[in-house]
Amino acid sequence: MRRLFKLIKTFSLWELLMGLMLTVKYFFKSKVTVQYPEERTPNSPRFRGIHALRRYPNGEERCIACKLCEAVCPALAITIEAEPREDGTRRTTSYEIDLFKCVYCGLCEESCPVDSIVLTRFDDYHITQRGQNILTKEKLLAIGDRYEEDLAKDRAEDARYR
Amino acid sequence: MSDIEIEIDDKKYSAKPDQMVIQVADAAGIYIPRFCYHKHLRVAANCRMCLVEVEKSPKTLPACATPVTPGMKIFTKSPKAIAAQKAVMEFLLINHPLDCPICDQGGECELQDLAMGFGSSHSCYEEGKRSVKDQNLGPLIATDMTRCIQCTRCVRFGEEIAGLCELGATGRGENLEIGTYVERTMQSEMSGNIIDVCPVGALTSKPFRFTARAWELDQFPSIAPHDCVGSNIFIHTRGGEVMRVVPRENETINQTWISDRDRFSYEGLTANRVAEPHIRIDGKLKSTDWQRALEFAVLKLQNSLEKKGANELAALISPNSTLEEFYLFQKLLRQLGCDNIDHRLRQIDFSDSFFPRANFSLAELEESDGILLIGSHLQMEQPLAAVRVRKAFLKGAAIAAINPVDFRFSFSLKEKNIIAPHHLVNALAGVAKSLCEMNSKSIPEFLKNSSVSETDKKIAMCLFSKKNNFILLGALAMNHPEAALIRALADFISEMTHARVIHFTEGCNATGAYLADVIPKKGMNVSQLLADPRKIYLLFNVEAEDVANPAAFTHALSQAECVISLSTFKNELLEKYADVILPVAPFSETSGTFVNVCGEWQSFKGVAKSFDESRPGWKILRVMGNLFQADGFEYESSEEVLSSLREESRLSEESRLSCQRKLASSAFKKDTGCHLSQKTLGWHDNMLSRIGEIPAYSTDAIVRRSEPLQKIQNENGLAAARLHSHTAHELKIKEEMIITIKQNQTEIKLPVKIDDRIAKQAIYIPAGIPETNSLSELFGKVEIKI
Ligand code: SF4
Ligand code: SF4
Ligand code: SF4
Ligand code: FES
Repeated sequence: MRRLFKLIKTFSLWELLMGLMLTVKYFFKSKVTVQYPEERTPNSPRFRGIHALRRYPNGEERCIACKLCEAVCPALAITIEAEPREDGTRRTTSYEIDLFKCVYCGLCEESCPVDSIVLTRFDDYHITQRGQNILTKEKLLAIGDRYEEDLAKDRAEDARYR
Repeated sequence: MSDIEIEIDDKKYSAKPDQMVIQVADAAGIYIPRFCYHKHLRVAANCRMCLVEVEKSPKTLPACATPVTPGMKIFTKSPKAIAAQKAVMEFLLINHPLDCPICDQGGECELQDLAMGFGSSHSCYEEGKRSVKDQNLGPLIATDMTRCIQCTRCVRFGEEIAGLCELGATGRGENLEIGTYVERTMQSEMSGNIIDVCPVGALTSKPFRFTARAWELDQFPSIAPHDCVGSNIFIHTRGGEVMRVVPRENETINQTWISDRDRFSYEGLTANRVAEPHIRIDGKLKSTDWQRALEFAVLKLQNSLEKKGANELAALISPNSTLEEFYLFQKLLRQLGCDNIDHRLRQIDFSDSFFPRANFSLAELEESDGILLIGSHLQMEQPLAAVRVRKAFLKGAAIAAINPVDFRFSFSLKEKNIIAPHHLVNALAGVAKSLCEMNSKSIPEFLKNSSVSETDKKIAMCLFSKKNNFILLGALAMNHPEAALIRALADFISEMTHARVIHFTEGCNATGAYLADVIPKKGMNVSQLLADPRKIYLLFNVEAEDVANPAAFTHALSQAECVISLSTFKNELLEKYADVILPVAPFSETSGTFVNVCGEWQSFKGVAKSFDESRPGWKILRVMGNLFQADGFEYESSEEVLSSLREESRLSEESRLSCQRKLASSAFKKDTGCHLSQKTLGWHDNMLSRIGEIPAYSTDAIVRRSEPLQKIQNENGLAAARLHSHTAHELKIKEEMIITIKQNQTEIKLPVKIDDRIAKQAIYIPAGIPETNSLSELFGKVEIKI
């Protein structure tokens, strides 16, 4: 009896159909695969990607060279030189982050009293040459300028948990 | 009075009856928070941070202003005390801005520290905070007066220590503001100390502004290299670079203060440095490596020595060099058979031999009751000695001065005699003679002809029948053409008044130079070496500004066949004439020892990384010794050099001290009358004589390159010929006129400034600055053309 049953099962391609059932099920289910880089997975406003230095709406850079981020950074990835600017305000003359050292912990952002250094959501970048791993002040400000709108939105969204 | 017993936090301590509670607690290591209390300043008790609970007192009391009483029971950490301290903290923070991130004091701020300990995390205060306008106090001190917590430490420092009430408080209560009343640059030579005393970031250092954070700095002990007091300092570095200098406490030398010169000279350390060894090939100076440069130097020197002989070699070394450098320098030269070695670059009169070492501590100056200043601008030359003299003055000491200029001092002079340099000896002889008369001693032969004026008598009175007298000889006496006579007369006066004499030498290590024998024994001294130019010059950090006669120095170098210079800084003159320039590290980059005027040996380590190719002087000299195959140059470290020097000098130091006075007075007896020496100098009573002071910020190569100090110095138009209005009237000269000044064969043009502080018959032309560098001697006859 059992042998007969097995025989029918084999010749009716039951196992195959069972397998195909799964395929059919997933065929109609909504898809999770995204077409990277055209499509991206969503991420949280707290996502910690590449760094940026922000400006105030009037275009003035926020950073006041307090060096708290430099002090807090566990990877010693930040190097800052400062000096009085011509108008007497305290400003950095050089602000560098070594991406090879950075562990993307976000402590620099947390320590910053003026929300100047932030981590953006942007995380896909590549380094092809020695030296490109150093984000200079100009680069950081440029990243900040480019993503300012998103950055501001993310910070606003997260503000009540801070 | 006997000690009394008090109880702090249930433990018994004994205290002196005149002590305050905070002093006893500090000595016992019990911390009481404070802002306005400073151990070297008067008690003001206006911050109220130090409130403590005292048994039987209904209210908490300020520990800094509560004298101890027998059986007193104090609680520093009781709930009542803590509550009071917290309340005070909240009040202080009401008006304090929240700008720690941009404040230079952040990280080393007393308010920050105490707010961590006693502050609460929120404030009940919601109203507007006060803000105060900043003042420009000059190139050294940056202000952010909104941050001031009105502790008045800075005001008290000015009143008590600096003796110049530049800062003061205006307004009351919340409107109390600290400022200079009328906005102006701080003039005090000690002004930098208010940066340290200010517990918050209201007063900070301008050259250091915003360049580094306290937590980034490494701190190393060192010794200040500008005056012979030898202040103890900390050098703060970041990544091997000197970022700033702050005082290091040493009760017998500088207490907790340092002068502005010591504090801000670091700005000159990296300016204008020689980066690599240079040698002259085919008339052009080219940079090269050490190996070649040293071999070239040694070969050149050897050749010239063979051709000319060792007597044609002149070796001059800056009095700011370390003891190790001195020792190896003279050791090398003596082995080469040369004795023409000198460090006394600005002195002219070498007819006596003396040893500039006081065998007592500077702190003893405070206890004196009579002080005579001779040719001394103490305030600017030795600011920390002036602090002591001021203390003595406040305790009632009578201070007199015989000076060519009526200098500003932080103490008032009871008597003064402002006379032209060519009358200095006579004035001193007058004082000596009147002291003889007062002591009813027989008047020695050499004073018979001296006349005694009323002023001389009054000055003599300042020292007469006092127990604890001091005679301080400044640069204007030591560099004087009749310095030997002045020293001998000072010794004579000191014998009669039981005074102790301090010879304030130029540079920071002149005493060390004597110990290391950097003086000619039989050879020629610096004056002779320049007046009668040699063919070979070996220079160690000597620039034209460092010598008494820059014109002669320039001429000597121009005619020499071989000039080898070990120098820290670039220098046009040397670049023109030197055959070899070897870059030497300054004090911050080498280990070494300075001996101050009180004979204290103070060693220090190199703290900054060496600038480019420059190397410590002792290493260069050691290798040169090796290349010359001289004996005993196998040193591995500067400590080894020091210990072999110690052995050699131990005996000589004792014998030097004992023979000091004898030699000085024998030099004196060579001249039987004070007028005699003037004749040999070709002086006469009615001439116009130069007062060639070296301004405080031109004394050595490092300060001359410190930008902020130069700014201060140039603010008052230093490059001018200053005259008394009376002299100007006689010469028919008016203010602002440009006159030609002729001295020996040299000539320069300078604007005139009328200044009644200058003695009559004298003209004040500072030296050590570029504008007057082509003139010759610091003192002597000057002619004027309009
Ligand atoms: S994210 Fe973390 S590791 Fe990276 S720079 Fe900031 S503090 Fe440093
Ligand atoms: S980025 Fe922020 S934390 Fe870092 S130095 Fe600038 S202001 Fe300070
Ligand atoms: S400026 Fe500084 S030292 Fe002076 S009163 Fe204010 S807080 Fe005190
Ligand atoms: S320290 Fe006592 S009141 Fe200020």
